[in-house]
Amino acid sequence: MNEVSKTLAAGLSVAAAAGLIAFGAVVRNRQDLGEPPIQGTRIAAEGLGTFVASNDKIGEVPEGDYFYEMSQLLKREYVEPITDPMKLATGAVRGMVGSLGDPHSIFMDKDEFRAYLAERQDKYEGIGVELALVMPNTPKQTSVHGVQPTAEPPDESMSYYPTYPKLTVVGISPGGPADRAGVKLGDVVYSVDGKWLVNSGELNAYRKAHDLFEAKKMPLPEFDKLRKELQAKTERPLMALKAKDLLTLGNQGSVTAVWVRKGEKLTTKMQKAPSTMGAPGQKDGALPLRFNSQAVETLKTALAGKSALTIDLRNNALGDFEQMRKCLAVVAPSGDYGMIEPDKKEAAFPVTVAHGAEHPPHLRLIVDSSTRGVAEAFALALSTKGVAKLTGDPMGPDHVIEEVVELPDGSGYTLARGTYEPTAQSSIVASRGR
Amino acid sequence: MRPVVKLLLAAIGLLGCFLFGFSWRDIQRGEPPSTRALDALVGVKVTPAKLTPEQVFEKNYNRILVDYSRHVDPTDLKYAGMEGMMASLGDPHTIFMPPKDAEAFSDETRANFSGIGAKLMTEPTGLGAKVATVFDDGPAYAAGLRAGNIITAVNGVSVADKEIDSIVDRIKGKEGTVVKLTVIQEGKTKPVILAVRRARIVTPTVEGKYLPDSKMGYLAIYSFSEPTAEQFDKELRKLEQHELTGLVIDLRGNPGGLLETAKALLGRFVENKVVVTMRFRDGDEETERTPTGELHNFRYPIAVLINEDSASAAEIFAGGLKDYGKVTLVGEHSYGKASVQNVFPLVDQASAKITIAKYFLPSGRFIGRKVDEDGVFLTGGLEPDVKVALTEDMQVEPGDPATDNQLRKAIEVLQAKAAH
Repeated sequence: MNEVSKTLAAGLSVAAAAGLIAFGAVVRNRQDLGEPPIQGTRIAAEGLGTFVASNDKIGEVPEGDYFYEMSQLLKREYVEPITDPMKLATGAVRGMVGSLGDPHSIFMDKDEFRAYLAERQDKYEGIGVELALVMPNTPKQTSVHGVQPTAEPPDESMSYYPTYPKLTVVGISPGGPADRAGVKLGDVVYSVDGKWLVNSGELNAYRKAHDLFEAKKMPLPEFDKLRKELQAKTERPLMALKAKDLLTLGNQGSVTAVWVRKGEKLTTKMQKAPSTMGAPGQKDGALPLRFNSQAVETLKTALAGKSALTIDLRNNALGDFEQMRKCLAVVAPSGDYGMIEPDKKEAAFPVTVAHGAEHPPHLRLIVDSSTRGVAEAFALALSTKGVAKLTGDPMGPDHVIEEVVELPDGSGYTLARGTYEPTAQSSIVASRGR
Repeated sequence: MRPVVKLLLAAIGLLGCFLFGFSWRDIQRGEPPSTRALDALVGVKVTPAKLTPEQVFEKNYNRILVDYSRHVDPTDLKYAGMEGMMASLGDPHTIFMPPKDAEAFSDETRANFSGIGAKLMTEPTGLGAKVATVFDDGPAYAAGLRAGNIITAVNGVSVADKEIDSIVDRIKGKEGTVVKLTVIQEGKTKPVILAVRRARIVTPTVEGKYLPDSKMGYLAIYSFSEPTAEQFDKELRKLEQHELTGLVIDLRGNPGGLLETAKALLGRFVENKVVVTMRFRDGDEETERTPTGELHNFRYPIAVLINEDSASAAEIFAGGLKDYGKVTLVGEHSYGKASVQNVFPLVDQASAKITIAKYFLPSGRFIGRKVDEDGVFLTGGLEPDVKVALTEDMQVEPGDPATDNQLRKAIEVLQAKAAH
């Protein structure tokens, strides 16, 4: 070997070695993340000193590195040892989901998420209700095949306060504890076990009284009485999701709730017990269908040898979108069945049935305001295309499609993907300039 | 050497290079190379790897950005994650501050008492912070802020349901910078936004008043700032021109401030005594002691008024006085902030305020606040010797014995003592 080829060989081996090191790192990154490696270099290589600012240099730190560096900082400095780093990640996810401020995107701790998953299998705890955060001024929906949804009148305009969504009964287990106590669909939780649920209506009423008092239109004793009442309530205020926990978690003990129905207050004391929403024995042999992993089987079994079927979609607020789509394919011919429209400038994605039913059955769907989410989308999809007839009361209206995410420690969250819009309407919606 | 051996060595060398690259992530973190990753590489069936906390964070961060129905600003989302991460520790004083909020927190501003010239108090409905006092010569007064106004947002960020000292932290900041306050003012139909330029505030942190009916002195200490000890001496001298039968020191609503000041003030009462012991996470302890040569001869009994808004340095001062048997505490339990924070500025001008130590009072007591899951006070803080709640009356004027029933109680206690 002469000198030239020796140098060449040495150069090549160095290049090969470096290449392999880089390749190894890439392989590892892909293996760990299942996606292309993270952009940017990990700052840890240079030590924490560069993350904790030493001068006025401003640097943008990618989110993954940011998280890593923050957890290192906490591990190093926080007064208590940090024994469970996963708690930090869960906390971060909780913070991110919470920052969306969206009643359809909700973080749930382990207990809440366990109960949520059970509810999707129609196993309810607590008082046997489905509760949802409903904004008081839900915009009126257009009529769909004679089913006219209702909306509460806007009663909290002119407000200094943010308007909080109301914790509202959107499903009741037939024969369950709440049903037996006389709770009805649409009832709003006012207090639980004597703890007042923070209520923007009442805060606003107090503000108005305060203005009157300041304008000397209300005497001091009267205003002082209101002030003391509010102060007593706010001493132990209850946040909506906490109130939901008190009512819907566990099968032990009893709970006293005060509800608001059409401006009137109603007090109920209920013994917690297991219950289900799709209780048997419904009229006309209607099939209660819940969009979970058994949905398609249930539907196929019910349809076997029949040309007509009535499906009861009431008490149906939780469902899996994919399962709903599979059910569509069982009962509907191939075609497009509307769109999921995100609220951001991104293409809506269609709900398509590729291999639909060749001989679609005659369907009748029983709906009411407890038909929500994917169940409402299912009803809208079928009725708009003329595949099914709707009977009953106005639905939801709430056809926001959520996805469900589980975290490693058993907690989880829902994330709003977009609003379902039936095909026939999307052109109208578009022409309205949305 | 035979060619085969050479080739073999070369192959081993290259394999080594690959493995080095493959394990780089572990090496960076100072961990041994992951055997699980290697198993997966050569095709040995492994149970799905547990995600690391980082991966959990990143996956969900990306999922929210991509899947969520509405557009989310990536940087805001990142900061929301950091806030949630620090909140998961359950310590209200360990907080993440995005760059906007963090302006207030560079190292020099901690010693530099600049602000807007107003005192805030807890707003019972959780709407924000209520303005207790506005100093006539401060920038807040010039900008139109008045006592009784309610601050609902700072720099556009809502402060509803925030702890009072975290609201104060957000408002404080470097001299010359501007803070925007969203304020509810009486008689206005809409909240107004006031832009206040922060300035070095020479606040009257101590105010004395002679109460002729009871022949007592009343000294309100609003905060523990640099000039507080000096102002305390001055106001005390003025009061002592009268023949005092007792002194009431009012620490209600005092959010604390400098430990140095609490130390100096305690030095008026006891010499070379322990003020607090700080215990750090590695078990290291540091003890602060009062100075010598600053003793004042108090020839009359003293009562100290505290309430749930008395925190931090105010608790150190009141706790020290109690532990050395110098005073009677009157009022309600104090806040219970028994921890020391450090502010870490970060490269992107955000900062992290982290609790780095706990402190213990001279008697060894730990007064850390414990709350239940609703955030309602359970235990902690200083317990008053004489417990009395402020009357539920609208017209309480602190320092006026005619309306301030806690002050009245303190006077009674002192009169009973003087009679003995």
